[in-house]
Amino acid sequence: MSEDFSGKVAIVTGGSRGIGRGIVAAFAQAGAQVVTCGRGSGPGDALLENVRWRTADVSQEADVADLVARVKADFGRADILVNNAGVQSEKTVTDSSDDDWDTLMGVNAKGVFLMCRQVIPLMASGGGGAIINIGSISGFHADPGMALYNASKGFVHALTRSIAVDHGPQGIRCNAICPGWIMTEMADQAFAYADNPAAAEKDALARHAVGRMGKPQDIAAAALWLASDQAGFVTGQTHVVDGGLTAASPVNPALF
Amino acid sequence: MSEQGNLAGKVALVTGGCGGIGQAICRRFAKEGAEVFAADVAAPAGDLPAGVRYLPFDVTDEAAVLAAYRTVEDAFGKLHVLVNAAGIEIEKTIEETSLAEWNRIFAINTTGTFLASKHGLPLMRKAGGGSIVNFGSYDGFIADPGLAAYCATKGAVHALTRAMACDHGPENIRVNAICPGYIDTPMLQSFFGSAGDIESLKEEVRRVHPVGYYGTPDDVANLVNWLAGDEARYASGQLWVLDGGLTAQVQQMRV
Repeated sequence: MSEDFSGKVAIVTGGSRGIGRGIVAAFAQAGAQVVTCGRGSGPGDALLENVRWRTADVSQEADVADLVARVKADFGRADILVNNAGVQSEKTVTDSSDDDWDTLMGVNAKGVFLMCRQVIPLMASGGGGAIINIGSISGFHADPGMALYNASKGFVHALTRSIAVDHGPQGIRCNAICPGWIMTEMADQAFAYADNPAAAEKDALARHAVGRMGKPQDIAAAALWLASDQAGFVTGQTHVVDGGLTAASPVNPALF
Repeated sequence: MSEQGNLAGKVALVTGGCGGIGQAICRRFAKEGAEVFAADVAAPAGDLPAGVRYLPFDVTDEAAVLAAYRTVEDAFGKLHVLVNAAGIEIEKTIEETSLAEWNRIFAINTTGTFLASKHGLPLMRKAGGGSIVNFGSYDGFIADPGLAAYCATKGAVHALTRAMACDHGPENIRVNAICPGYIDTPMLQSFFGSAGDIESLKEEVRRVHPVGYYGTPDDVANLVNWLAGDEARYASGQLWVLDGGLTAQVQQMRV
């Protein structure tokens, strides 16, 4: 695929590692000017020439306002917004504290709201654009012990539809990508915790129709397409990218 | 039981009524006070429950379906409840499935639902309305391996359910589908039989379910009874998944 994003400005939240880092790289390689952010000081290695890092916590309105004001001052436009920043909490409802709620919902839910509220006017002033939210298969089906995370992704899915409906007339498309198991540093660690990491990985692979786990590039490729003019008629949808995981029954006799 | 059952005074017909789930539904309907036809292509092996009569019914044969409904009309003049429970399973991928097999499973699972419903509607109008309960499956949403044609027939039933509900709602006819997960029937035993040690497989299957067990025909009959009765008057056009939470979860890695 060789969609050219030259002259476009893309904001990608949470771009220092994992899926976000993959999305930043893909848009940058496709010619976009990318602004990415996170709570830290950056990915720690050299950024591509057309990538700028801003320290910002998307759950804080002042940070978000400052981030978008600087995009406006620097480039005068925002064509693409990818709301990727997210945190995870491995707890049930009864184990979750108020602080857990505030932290998780602050980033995963309020952060998406704040970013959209700041960026939409700028995007509309340039004639429109594309918003891509990172939802999750966990917003459709529950991962055990991840109650608030699952719920936050359900919020993202519903907000995606609302933004598409409300701001479509301003030329803004809004879609969600719902990744399955994407191999990131975090997922690698999960296998390491298993009693038998090799068996766990073999089991996980057997549950994927494509015979492998996802890579950040898989999600980046979907984001690139959704941001492109090829997807001009695509809006308000939740696109599952999971290698077939949720197309199959949780009961897999081949594993018994 | 209290004075009157949920289906007192109603006439009900259950296709596949002599099968594992069908019999449980017939038994429950009779207990709830309905006149019940166990409509099936083959006569029951043993005695039917009290209040249930056998009706020869081949869902793939339009003339036979019409003849069967004449029997219902002669006996009661109307029909309040139709349950389309007749169904078969073919444990194959599409490559292994012959055209004849494909046509046969669609003839029973999908066309059978169409024919039994189409020709049951006039008798339902005479009853002033009614309730149709189709048999979808959780396999109409997600795939079990090696069940391709079966999955497809159930997806078709889901869509047909919504269409029928829209078309016939104004006539006071409600249409719903129930979508069972793992229910302990001969069909399930056959599916288990295809994969090694049955006892360890059963244990694994229980473990995958959030509720810790798989369902029984009586669990299905409980839901069908509710959908059939007037208490469900506002329920129509929906796909009622009954699977012990199986499909509420993401597939879990076993570690």
